[in-house]
Amino acid sequence: MKHVVVGAGTAGFNAITTLLSIQPDADVTLVSAEVPYARMVLPYYLSSEIEEGNVYTITPSRLEELGVKLQLGARASGLDRVAKRVLLEGGGSVEYDHLLIATGSSSVRPPVPGIDGERVFDHWTLADTQALRAVIRPGAEVAIVGAGFIAFTIVNPLLHAGCKLTLIEREPHVLPRMLNAEAAAVLEGWLRDHGVAIHTRASLERIEDAPDGSKRVIVNGSALSTQYSVLVIATGIRPNLEWLRDSGLSIDRGLIVDEQLRTNDPAVYAAGDVAEVRDAVTGQRAVMAIETAAMEQGRIVGAAMAGQPRTYAGGMLMNVIESAGLQAASFGDWAGSAATEGRAAGGHYRRYIWDGDRLTGAVIVGPAHQVAGENDMGMLKGLVQSGRPLGRWQRLLAERPFEVRKAFLSAGSVADLLPRTVLGEPSKPLEAALRS
Amino acid sequence: MQQTGGSLQPAKSVIRVAPLEAHTSYSPYTCFQCAEGWCMTACPVDAISISAAGAKEVSWERCTGCKLCTIACPYGTMFLDLDAHKAFKCNLCGGDPACARACPVEAIQWVDAETQDWQGAFAAERSVRDLAAVGAA
Repeated sequence: MKHVVVGAGTAGFNAITTLLSIQPDADVTLVSAEVPYARMVLPYYLSSEIEEGNVYTITPSRLEELGVKLQLGARASGLDRVAKRVLLEGGGSVEYDHLLIATGSSSVRPPVPGIDGERVFDHWTLADTQALRAVIRPGAEVAIVGAGFIAFTIVNPLLHAGCKLTLIEREPHVLPRMLNAEAAAVLEGWLRDHGVAIHTRASLERIEDAPDGSKRVIVNGSALSTQYSVLVIATGIRPNLEWLRDSGLSIDRGLIVDEQLRTNDPAVYAAGDVAEVRDAVTGQRAVMAIETAAMEQGRIVGAAMAGQPRTYAGGMLMNVIESAGLQAASFGDWAGSAATEGRAAGGHYRRYIWDGDRLTGAVIVGPAHQVAGENDMGMLKGLVQSGRPLGRWQRLLAERPFEVRKAFLSAGSVADLLPRTVLGEPSKPLEAALRS
Repeated sequence: MQQTGGSLQPAKSVIRVAPLEAHTSYSPYTCFQCAEGWCMTACPVDAISISAAGAKEVSWERCTGCKLCTIACPYGTMFLDLDAHKAFKCNLCGGDPACARACPVEAIQWVDAETQDWQGAFAAERSVRDLAAVGAA
């Protein structure tokens, strides 16, 4: 049985390691334009807190040692499902019996004049991080266009590097796909107090080169007063699906998959940013472009490829960032309308979203030491993940939003969560799994 | 064990205490060493392994401080060291837990037992007054 995985990111990597942990002699080929690395930790490489070596999830030589055939640097250009072949850019193809499509996303730049000029960077791939590392200097004026999650992952590295930072966001507030307006207002106030300039409702129109060689940014018809030596574009990402347009696979926002993550072709699976899966909280189909969803989906597919099909429980949104000592996180259906709110001194804000007496989403923003002191962020995830009716404790939590620990421990959430696993059995740490 | 240099630092304890009934009762909690190991599987750099004592354990050599484990753990028992920017949790002290040795009344004992919710009923019973205070008794 020939197993082919296209994409070496979180989903593809977890599929391969799970498959090999069950079936060490499996015939696996990895086709990937990039070597395997963890996108999640690129900001810590940008800030030089970790070495480049810590970015890689596994080395090509270790993969070869495990018997994985490598087609690194190869980009898939098409899929022939009749011949069961993945076609490669520049010719050649790879034959499969089972295929996992895990080609992830690419960053997308808005099509405005000047966007592809000098000293305009992205921050999505390892190569992007390396390029940006080479130009950030203490005192440099840096603007990030697009103040979403990706932008916020590099706020701390840029501040630590001594850069003067400006955030430019088209929407009414920063992190529009992670925080509600009230939570974002806390974050914006905090960042302004820490010297970060923020422009919201600011639509990028063009980028110009000033006579002194710096960049001039034109938004809403006029130039921002500051000129920048470095621009980072973080306006969004798009799943890498173009190569599948003629494949006959069902695609909406992503590849539509069933509960075992199979596409409409039972020999072809999809996982990670390219997969449109069930949102476990809302029940709707969604592309869950987050690390944990890609990891779980990759493991589900790896087990299925090894002949142990499992049902995917669905994805759950969760995001966390820390900027200049303020922590922000959101979970599940965080934008839902049936909400209660709470505030505490020092800029500590919470929003809980309810479906009757079940917590379906949460937003939390506060100084990192206060959030760490309350130590209930994980419990909010647990309450949403468990979906357990909280009965009388719903009232307690709605009225006293900082008493999460009491509600979590009392409502039986622990008993509800303990039997749950992703693969129906206890997980093994990676190296132990690959040794067995 | 989390080394704190001899000073008392409750923020670095891996056992936390939920106050109940206006601080007249307390429910301590720590890592359940759950079967999934949500922290371990979420870690993007394979920094969490299982020790010989059966505990999920964070390697500070590998941890980048990305905080993903602190939101993936649904029990709230993965912590962030704000000085070191690293994650930390109960590692059962290599099979000889310091908490069990330190407890003067043997309320903490080191026994090999099935993972279970041992405090839910206790905490629920001790929340009656809190529920009454919000009109939900």
